[in-house]
Amino acid sequence: MEFGWTPEQKALRQKVAAFLDAHLPEDWESIASQSPGSPAVTEFSKQFCPKLAEAGLLASHWPEEFGGAGASAWDHFIVGEMLWEAGEPRGPQYYNVNWIGPAIMQYGTAEQQEQHLGRMLKGDVIWCQGFSEPSAGSDLAALRTRAEREGESYVVNGQKIWTSYARLAEFCFLLARTGAGKKEISVFLIPMDRKGITVRPIDSVVGDGDLHEVFLDDVEVLESERLGQEGLGWEVVRYALNFERVGIPRYALALRTLNRTVAELQGSASFGEGAQIAAASAHSACEAARILVYEAVGQRMKSSPDTGVASIARLSVVRAENQVADFVLDWTPQLFVGDEQPMVATHHKRAISAGIAGGAAEIQLNLIARNVLGLGA
Amino acid sequence: MDFDLSSDQQLLMTSFESLLEAYRALPVGSHGYTLYSKELQGELAASGFLDVAAAEGFGPLEAALLAEEAATSPYGAELAASALIGPLLDGAEGPIAVAWGLGEPVRYLPQARTVCIIQGDEVLVASPETGAIREVDTVGAYPMGALEKAPSNAATLDAKTSAAVRCRALIAIAAEAAGLMRAALEHAVQYVKDRQQFGQSLGAFQAIQHRLAENAQIVRAARSLAFRAAWRDDECSAASACLYAQNAMRKLIHDCHQFSGAMGLTLEFPLHLWTYRLKLLQGEAGGRAGQAALVASNLWGAS
Repeated sequence: MEFGWTPEQKALRQKVAAFLDAHLPEDWESIASQSPGSPAVTEFSKQFCPKLAEAGLLASHWPEEFGGAGASAWDHFIVGEMLWEAGEPRGPQYYNVNWIGPAIMQYGTAEQQEQHLGRMLKGDVIWCQGFSEPSAGSDLAALRTRAEREGESYVVNGQKIWTSYARLAEFCFLLARTGAGKKEISVFLIPMDRKGITVRPIDSVVGDGDLHEVFLDDVEVLESERLGQEGLGWEVVRYALNFERVGIPRYALALRTLNRTVAELQGSASFGEGAQIAAASAHSACEAARILVYEAVGQRMKSSPDTGVASIARLSVVRAENQVADFVLDWTPQLFVGDEQPMVATHHKRAISAGIAGGAAEIQLNLIARNVLGLGA
Repeated sequence: MDFDLSSDQQLLMTSFESLLEAYRALPVGSHGYTLYSKELQGELAASGFLDVAAAEGFGPLEAALLAEEAATSPYGAELAASALIGPLLDGAEGPIAVAWGLGEPVRYLPQARTVCIIQGDEVLVASPETGAIREVDTVGAYPMGALEKAPSNAATLDAKTSAAVRCRALIAIAAEAAGLMRAALEHAVQYVKDRQQFGQSLGAFQAIQHRLAENAQIVRAARSLAFRAAWRDDECSAASACLYAQNAMRKLIHDCHQFSGAMGLTLEFPLHLWTYRLKLLQGEAGGRAGQAALVASNLWGAS
């Protein structure tokens, strides 16, 4: 057991910091204060990600045979943490490099790899994730969207909901039912401009581009667009989401927000004992989340089975994110209400989704009770 | 960064756990509020575990690993301060008690061969003199005593050593609290598995599962923060780990008692041994305000 960064990892942090200094424009915060799926951030990501790729920071952890540099997944995690802290200038493209690309490397045909991986490495393609449905949220296996076989192709009918980035996405990583059994599900990689797909934005607290409904009416999908074998979608999803064991490193932006809020209080000479207790407590909660996330990442790096620490890490992230959001409301409500520091309000907007996006925190509690404490079924 | 124990750390923990094995079971009959084991204290001293931080290749992290584990035994014996602070004080004999001021109850003072008296930035080290210690009767499950004045043999440490002692004292609290919380939670979890009500075990109710799961998060976080603080051995990390534990323990204590029902109110049920030790740690070293002030001054330059 040891808690240090290697000299190479420290150098990488410096490199990323220097890159951000050089490539985030003056008005970046006003862009970043919009949702990651907003037109402004999406457009920015298409300028930013190619530069990130050129600097070897977009997908360096991908194997060399697929155009990466075979770097450690720790390196990719460090980059992801620092980019989230900066307001996520990759916009929706973190999906691509984190898990959609790796799933295509593992299960895709040569043609699929050829078609998709190059675009992702270039950094100018947006994907969305067609998972949740009106009656399949936490209980994802209850999804109803069907892909019926018709000769060499499928006809897809159904509806997705809460789909982030859908309006501006070129492709969807879509789950659809291909059999009667609960888990007879397949994955399809479909272009979003295909006839029969309708996207409707849903106004959301997080902002424009965050939530959508996606309707699929008699959408024709080719067999060659199916990822992996028919009916093995659940395995593909498990494989893909294993790369996302810990979700977004939200504590990073939370800590930045906390530091700003404290500076504001100090500026008005109002950082007294009460505020110090609240600030230091929120800080320790963020550090707890950070160390547990690192532990879950470390387990994944070693391909060790998840001992429950990933669920514990996810829960810690939600707790920390909300503790910082509450600190802002308690001690600097003017920063939440006003527009002087847009990133503070933005942090708050993102915090409300922390316990929901990517899986409800209560599901993590179920998993901890079962897998860590041995309670229940 | 590596979260698994190294092979040397594994060997250390395996042999430590086998020493503790004999001190896992409760004594037969009532043990009162406090359960201190002179035998365990003696074995700790004789085995060399108290000196682990001074051993080649080991340091404060290994001392914290032992402190966390030792705290899970129902039997109290002083290890955390001896193992973490001892190596900073040439030739100081354990058990070591840490007094955060004079006149206040101090854990393990009646047993201590060395006492560190922390007064602001200054740290005094002394051997308690016979008759100078007032034994304190407590529900707190630690043996306690109070020093009314500094012993005549007290020596003031230099500023650098004083700072190091204060830092290690906080790490000792954080590691001990993490172990106490782990043991209390394990006991409460076992109880809800065994206890049948409404035709099923209490642990089958989701309302109870979720609250215990929240506590599992607390325990895990407190452990990791304590161990990282020990590895870093700096004041800010130490105060932050200590603060996390002092914040989180109140929920854990409440929930563990709540789910143990009236059994948890009895002295024969060992839960109080961990929760009432925790209650003494909750306000130690200035409590949350004390730790927060240290974190705020280190991170944000607050005064």
